[in-house]
Amino acid sequence: MGTLLRSALRPLRRVGGLRGPAADVPLRGVRHGANGLLYPGHIPTSPLQKALLAAGSAGMSLYNPYRHDMVAVLGETTGHGALKVLRDQMRNDPEGAEILQERPRISLSTLDLDKLRSLPEGSLGQEYLRFLHVNRVSPDTRAPTRFVDDEELAYVIQRYREVHDMLHTLLGMPTNILGEIVVKWFEAVQTGLPMCILGALFGPIRLSAQSLQVLVSELIPWAIQNGRRAPCVLNLYYERRWEQPLRALREELGITDPPPCMSGA
Amino acid sequence: MATHRSCALWSYCGPRWSWVMRCCRLPGFRSSWPRGSLGARHLSQEKRETETHFGFETVSEEEKGGKVYHVFESVAKKYDVMNDMMSLGIHRIWKDLLLSKMHPFPGTQLLDVAGGTGDIAFRFLNYVQAQHKGKQKRQLRAQQNLSWEEIAKKYQSEDDPLGGSRVVVCDINKEMLKIGKQKARAQGHKAGLAWVLGDAEELPFDDDKFDVYTIAFGIRNVTHIDQALQEAHRVLKPGGRFLCLEFSQVNNPLISRLYDLYSFQVIPVLGEVIAGDWRSYQYLVESIRQFPSQEEFKEMIEDAGFEKVTYESLTSGIVAIHSGFKL
Repeated sequence: MGTLLRSALRPLRRVGGLRGPAADVPLRGVRHGANGLLYPGHIPTSPLQKALLAAGSAGMSLYNPYRHDMVAVLGETTGHGALKVLRDQMRNDPEGAEILQERPRISLSTLDLDKLRSLPEGSLGQEYLRFLHVNRVSPDTRAPTRFVDDEELAYVIQRYREVHDMLHTLLGMPTNILGEIVVKWFEAVQTGLPMCILGALFGPIRLSAQSLQVLVSELIPWAIQNGRRAPCVLNLYYERRWEQPLRALREELGITDPPPCMSGA
Repeated sequence: MATHRSCALWSYCGPRWSWVMRCCRLPGFRSSWPRGSLGARHLSQEKRETETHFGFETVSEEEKGGKVYHVFESVAKKYDVMNDMMSLGIHRIWKDLLLSKMHPFPGTQLLDVAGGTGDIAFRFLNYVQAQHKGKQKRQLRAQQNLSWEEIAKKYQSEDDPLGGSRVVVCDINKEMLKIGKQKARAQGHKAGLAWVLGDAEELPFDDDKFDVYTIAFGIRNVTHIDQALQEAHRVLKPGGRFLCLEFSQVNNPLISRLYDLYSFQVIPVLGEVIAGDWRSYQYLVESIRQFPSQEEFKEMIEDAGFEKVTYESLTSGIVAIHSGFKL
């Protein structure tokens, strides 16, 4: 039985990908400070663990949609390929490359709320603040990355999560379930992350027939159209664009106004 | 060094895990680790004296207590669900076996240490209640010439369904006790139950107080196991029994591999998905590996002064019930 398993697992071993320097470093046997981990909060996982995590988190997100940490874990464990593509897209764009180098983070501690409040009406900063206030959300509720085994990709997915609220503002979608699904469709077309695709396809399961009707007939086509037309939204250095009027930004990206059935963010 | 076979078989599970396996196979690793004397440590023994293990991490002894407290504080709410998930419900059978081994009779005073959510305590109460009812029935059947009045009086004078048995649940963690109290209320256990916040290494009880002392899946989290055993010896009455249900070393090599695979690959994932807490369950499976084997633990119990120490391995040694008497 040992030889059978061994021969079955040999191709897996090459694909495994966790070989190299990490193999010889005892990852947990040291005290705080001296970690062989790639970034703070990193939990190295084997391919088997990633597969189990992906399956478990997918199931749990469906079962309990309030488990946002499960959606995050699903994204991290399934997104390796898509994250690489995203990272390459960012590298090829001047603004994106800057973001990769400077690694800005959007959180309450890094945002200058007073400055944003003083901006003119209709600017990105104002609209973003209004969105946070109306929907009673905070940029600090994003779970930190844990299961991505590449430090740059870990930043890319962290950036994607922090930009998610920006997308709500850009698209004019509230944070109710319908709004979240629309944003997921947009993100699925833009990023190709399996978590977005799964969320976009399975999110509507819990909707009423009426909402489903509106979703399918108007919102999804709009989201897909705009997703295709707009350039990669991760390439925008939002922190430098607070003063830009939202309307102008939407025009720049080719995002049309949201369909009338959705109240603005 | 580990055999090539095991390296190949388990490499797909990640290098950290195969490093773990390599360490575990060093000769004498398991037996020397709990006593704290690996080769390198001889050199600077004075400085490193107060270090111990927290899973596979090395921490100071002062730190360990706090870290263990935080682990159980965060897992308390999902503790029972996770037990069922991780052991596929088998932990219930283990606990039932512990009770049947204990075979308490009405009137037994039980101290359940690290008994947080009350699994052992509730089983004890049910067991003793059933015993008491059985005893009553037998008494009635034996006395054939009672009048209806006397029989009615016997049933009415029943004000202690437990027959004098009491159980004290002692735990160091407030959250676990809270969950235990909630469960007691939900299951309708009121009489004969006491909840005490206390440290297994320094029990807040007098000497010679209890008939039975149990500690189920708790002693491996104690920083100084020998002190806990000595305290157990102190609070038991002469003739009292010490019972410990704990994870132990698997004796079958094939099952051991499957068990290791399951422990390190599946359990932290379950912890993350169900309880949103990877690290606590990582600690849990690591702490199981750090615990001494059945024989070694038996010797530790004997060192504390217990006699007639025996152990019974369950499920191929995944858990073991150790029993000793204070004579």
